[in-house]
Amino acid sequence: MKITKLTIKNHQNGYAVLELLFYMSLFSVLSLVVISAMITMAKSFKETAIQAELVQSGTIMERISREIRASYDINSISASNLVLNTTDDSGANKTIEFSLLDSDIRLLENGIFTGNLNTSKITTTDLSFVSIVTAEGKAVKIFFTVRSENDASGRAQDFYNTVVLRGGYQ
Amino acid sequence: MMVEMLVAISIIAVSILAATMVAQKSIYVSRQAFHATQAAFLLEEGAETVRILRDNAWTNISSLTPGANYYPIFSGGTWVLSETANVVGIFTRQVSVMNVNRDNITKDISTIGTDDPGTKLVTVTVSWIEGGATVTKTLQFYIMNIFSQ
Repeated sequence: MKITKLTIKNHQNGYAVLELLFYMSLFSVLSLVVISAMITMAKSFKETAIQAELVQSGTIMERISREIRASYDINSISASNLVLNTTDDSGANKTIEFSLLDSDIRLLENGIFTGNLNTSKITTTDLSFVSIVTAEGKAVKIFFTVRSENDASGRAQDFYNTVVLRGGYQ
Repeated sequence: MMVEMLVAISIIAVSILAATMVAQKSIYVSRQAFHATQAAFLLEEGAETVRILRDNAWTNISSLTPGANYYPIFSGGTWVLSETANVVGIFTRQVSVMNVNRDNITKDISTIGTDDPGTKLVTVTVSWIEGGATVTKTLQFYIMNIFSQ
């Protein structure tokens, strides 16, 4: 009786199912990582832009503080409006006014509108001025809230300051 | 083949992770920068609080316990220093006053010499929690009894 040998053909070409599964899962895991990284980076770019706008709005407080410090008297003060008596570079009297209109903080010099202190992407709410009278002069307590229009969650950020009118000292 | 694949994948994974970490760090840094801007105004307000107290009467300053922590609070239309802690949003603000010595000969402020009752060293501190760690900003200045009340 002749014994026939069974030979197993060795296939060198093509992928086994297991191999295919391995590569597919590897590809999907890698693409997931790449997509999540892209989302994270896009989010952080947006957040950085929002924070930069908010930092920029610190200049509003800087400007108001500087004008109050340089002035010698409060002309009129109400919750969201402040008129200061101050002097210009040549020593002539002038008024500086800060007021809130439609979420913008306006600056008026001698009653003439000069410009908005906030950038166009910043919404200002709750501007408030409180007068403080001391034995030697006056001070103004300032408070306002800003929001970035790019911020979908609309987080409100508060700025507080108080400035003594240095021009009022005798 | 397998080794090259592994090396390539690990290089890609590490670079993506690094980029993600940089992005997250940038959020942390920009938030901290904004909070530092807010804190700068709070520090200024703390200094002005002490100035308002000085303008009203020097005893408001001289009666403070040196080294003790006080917390500015707006009450009765003016700023006062309270011994009870309070917070402004995420920020904690405290004011402390120290005695100041003047050199007996030069009359300059120095560590030795005689205590000058008309000069105090004021320290305003604002601190807040940022990403689990406490960030502290300090403002130090001298205040003098210029109105001799």
